[in-house]
Amino acid sequence: MTLHAIDLGVRAGDDCLVAPCSFRLAAGENLTLLGETGAGKSLLAQAIMGTLPAGLEAHGEVRFDDRELLGLPPGERRKLWGRELVLLPQEPWHALDPLMRAGEQVRETYRFVAGDDANPARERTRRALARLGLDRAARRLPGELSGGMAQRLAFAAATAAGGRLVIADEPTKGLDADRRDEVVSLLQEAQRDGGMLLTITHDIRVARRLGGRVMILRDGRCVEEGDAAEVLRRPRSDFGRRLLAADPAEWPARDTPPRALGEPVLRAHGLGKTLGGRALFEGLSLALSPGEVVGITGPSGCGKSTLGNLLLGLGQPDRGHVERAAGIAPHRFQKLYQDPPAAFAPHWTLGTLLDDLLRRHRLAYDRVPPLLERLRLSPALLSRRPGEVSGGELQRLSLLRVLLLDPVLLFADEPTSRLDPLTQREILPLMTDLARERDCALLLVSHDRELIHHSCDRTIALAGDTSMPQPGLAAVATAE
Amino acid sequence: MIATLSLLPSRWRALPHARRWGAGLLLALLAVAWLLPLAMPLDPARQDLMNILAAPSLAEPLGTDHLGRSQLARMAAAIRLSTGMALVSVLSAALPGVLLGVLAGWRGGWTDRALGLVADCVLALPGLLLVLLLAAIAPGQFWALYVGIALVLWVEYFRVVRATTRSLAASPQLQASRLLGFGHGYLLRRHLWPALAPAVSTLAAFGAANAILAIAALGFVSIGLEPPTAELGLMMTELLPYYREAPWIILQPIAVLFLLVLGCQLLAGREPQ
Amino acid sequence: MNRLTSLLLGRLLQAGLVAWGVGTLTFLLTRALPGDMAYRIAAGRYGYENVDRDAAEAVARELSLGGSPLGDYLYWLGDLARLDLGHSLVSGESVWSEVRHQLGHSLGLALVAVLLALLIGPPLGMLAGLRRDGWLDRANLLGAVLLRSLPSFVIGLLLIMVFSVGLGWFPAAGHGGAAHVWLPALALALGLAAVSTRVARNAMAGVARSPFYAFARTKGLSSWIAFRRHGLRNAGVPVVAYLGVQLVYLIEGVVVVESLFAWPGIGHALVHALVARDVPMVQGTALAMGLLFVALNTLVDLTCLLIDPRRRQA
Repeated sequence: MTLHAIDLGVRAGDDCLVAPCSFRLAAGENLTLLGETGAGKSLLAQAIMGTLPAGLEAHGEVRFDDRELLGLPPGERRKLWGRELVLLPQEPWHALDPLMRAGEQVRETYRFVAGDDANPARERTRRALARLGLDRAARRLPGELSGGMAQRLAFAAATAAGGRLVIADEPTKGLDADRRDEVVSLLQEAQRDGGMLLTITHDIRVARRLGGRVMILRDGRCVEEGDAAEVLRRPRSDFGRRLLAADPAEWPARDTPPRALGEPVLRAHGLGKTLGGRALFEGLSLALSPGEVVGITGPSGCGKSTLGNLLLGLGQPDRGHVERAAGIAPHRFQKLYQDPPAAFAPHWTLGTLLDDLLRRHRLAYDRVPPLLERLRLSPALLSRRPGEVSGGELQRLSLLRVLLLDPVLLFADEPTSRLDPLTQREILPLMTDLARERDCALLLVSHDRELIHHSCDRTIALAGDTSMPQPGLAAVATAE
Repeated sequence: MIATLSLLPSRWRALPHARRWGAGLLLALLAVAWLLPLAMPLDPARQDLMNILAAPSLAEPLGTDHLGRSQLARMAAAIRLSTGMALVSVLSAALPGVLLGVLAGWRGGWTDRALGLVADCVLALPGLLLVLLLAAIAPGQFWALYVGIALVLWVEYFRVVRATTRSLAASPQLQASRLLGFGHGYLLRRHLWPALAPAVSTLAAFGAANAILAIAALGFVSIGLEPPTAELGLMMTELLPYYREAPWIILQPIAVLFLLVLGCQLLAGREPQ
Repeated sequence: MNRLTSLLLGRLLQAGLVAWGVGTLTFLLTRALPGDMAYRIAAGRYGYENVDRDAAEAVARELSLGGSPLGDYLYWLGDLARLDLGHSLVSGESVWSEVRHQLGHSLGLALVAVLLALLIGPPLGMLAGLRRDGWLDRANLLGAVLLRSLPSFVIGLLLIMVFSVGLGWFPAAGHGGAAHVWLPALALALGLAAVSTRVARNAMAGVARSPFYAFARTKGLSSWIAFRRHGLRNAGVPVVAYLGVQLVYLIEGVVVVESLFAWPGIGHALVHALVARDVPMVQGTALAMGLLFVALNTLVDLTCLLIDPRRRQA
């Protein structure tokens, strides 16, 4: 059994969206397509499945065993879905029918796609769910499943009819590190008994863990291909090297020497917060001094953002209190948001909003051009609305906006998690450098431990469960 | 004002086709109703029993009714009544509806709950039932009809505005602007109003349609307004017995009611939710 | 407190509000009428022919009427709370027994109308939603916009003109054989269908674009099975939920359409009572319509709970 793509490309009318590329996949092998967001990777998956949106057209050849897929009539192509070709959904939570019980969504594949009779279908469903640790979730609705359970359930439902070629399109979109590893093991499961796995991702760490072969795509063009171990260690192409360097784990170690800390701008004493009956943290004390960069990390839902908001006064702690240094104007405590477009009034141009800010604080416009230049932003962007510039540009504009107010504390809540790795590589060091230059305390929240490790002077690790020993407290005491 | 006017042509072109058609339709009907009486003498009450149920002619472009009254004069009067009433009720419902909605969504807590309860009280009864009972208390009086319609309409604004305000009040964009030091006035002007305006204008168009329908329904069952008032629903009831002899006459109020409501619906630019 | 109890309590509260609102409005109506209050109440209790000066005075003494308006108002609400609706000023019959008959007729009409609307609207809407921007979708939109611009009584008028006066297929008015129900029910149903067909269309279009529908297809289910198992129910939930909103249209339509077709239901009776200033009947019929509205809303809520398991969780 083989999949052989020959000069496979995608175009919309005369526009070439994915330049022709060729690859081959045999039984038991796996191939990872790696590239930035928007590089046309997903289109290749859709071209192989035959689910390209109207107006887009695949060309070239896709040989699956002895059939040529692109030439098959749509009806014939659909008969392969589930039975031979499996497409794992991007966001499993949204891919499950919200009104149907979990077990039923797997059973229907056995019953209606694999063609089992009622009883064997029920029995095989039970076994499949048990193997993935979902036995007790069978009667639940998708809304009651955790993200990880939804992922496994979608996997079970997609592969139940026995398809041998599994295509995973951005399977780790929006997941934190622990969940990412779980997904990788799940994908390896698909390939174990001689199946073929085609993974599409922008995450180098996923590609590395999956192993097999890797193909790096840029702007719909293949720039490099080879063994994962080889390519991901010593990329030959310039783009490959840049992509690799963007991985926080590869960031250069910080070489700025530790500096003497000034008088803290903010102190917190014995903070405690309980949310939905769960204690997020307890007895947490800390002090933030000008120019230091402090990271907060931990699994999702552990209260990282809550802690930052409490420190900024955007919420009240259940216990303890936060104290600001005397004589500092309130607007010098600022925040950067995870989703930049959500932090701007959407109906006005960025220039209008900036003028509002300058007028509000009686600032002169001549502070703006140097900052624009420092942040590598074109002044032309100011005539656009927030929705009309890229996420990376907008995040830099939010940074500009708060820097105009000479902040003493900046709380950055996952500021780059919605951005491309390459953009993240560009923005985050800029952010930490500016904070240090301007003697502003930067509180950086991220789920990415590597990123925190490479950016921050010290780290607060939240466990999310105070019944365990409190690493939060320990970490506060011991700056890295 | 001048700036607004100079913007009009570009705004007009930016409107989707359906909204342009709706606006055009309404403007045409309003022009007939309000401008025509300036150009020629039109008396909706003058009877001429020698000339009843006349077919359209040069002198009477829309014919005459069963009492020999000019149909053109009566249709113009009926449009003035319906649209005038709709406009006044929509405006007087929108103002408290929007203000209270912003208040409830912004303040939350007890303010929100108390106002929500008032809205629930109004919604407990179907709107037309409320209007019927109010109209019956003061038969033949416009104010009762107006109060009833406005009372029913404000709730829609209130609910939509409250929901929008509530979700915005908790949004990062508002939090960011607050942290940057902006006050309430700024948040209203830059954040809230631009988000509310499209919904409010859509609601106003639907509200006008509903007001026109409610007035016609009341007239049709002869409650609230009484003959000889020229009103669309009332005219349909009066003219129904003459359907066989003069079908074109009863079709006139039907067509006008249809066009008025259609115009409002198209102007709303969205489907009702 | 689980979802069912809180839902039922909420609707019970609404029923209370309806009773209070109707009671207050009819009280105001009484005050607005010319003439002696005690006499009217006595007439309401015993019927017009049985009322004389003595009876009226007895009532006045008993209620200490002519006292403060507030006292009168509380007494009025007290009667309502004891479910004492009195007698019709016109027929002298007990309001309860009249309303019971009328309610039956109205329910029958409403039921046929809703069933017709559900047969016409949602199926066309779902077909349109599956083929977005196809010819059926465009025709569906056009038809819905045109129909929505016609109130139910105008639809009724047009139906009478075409099918009754023009073609002579159906009787225009009155109540009797099954033939009488078709035109008024259709008049109501077309308006209801015009809205529900668009709700169904938008819901179906949303489902057809959703990742879970795409996944149902790519995991190998045929078009028909994917539609039956994933499309129908997911698109059905908003259609049923929206039916609750449409009940306002239905109840309002019942008032006017019954009057047009002389259908002996509760709406027709309400209009008659209003014209005749028959206050006890106004109160009885308005109350019955309001409570019918609440009851139907409750039914819609329960149906939603039944078909949408998400709502059953607190």
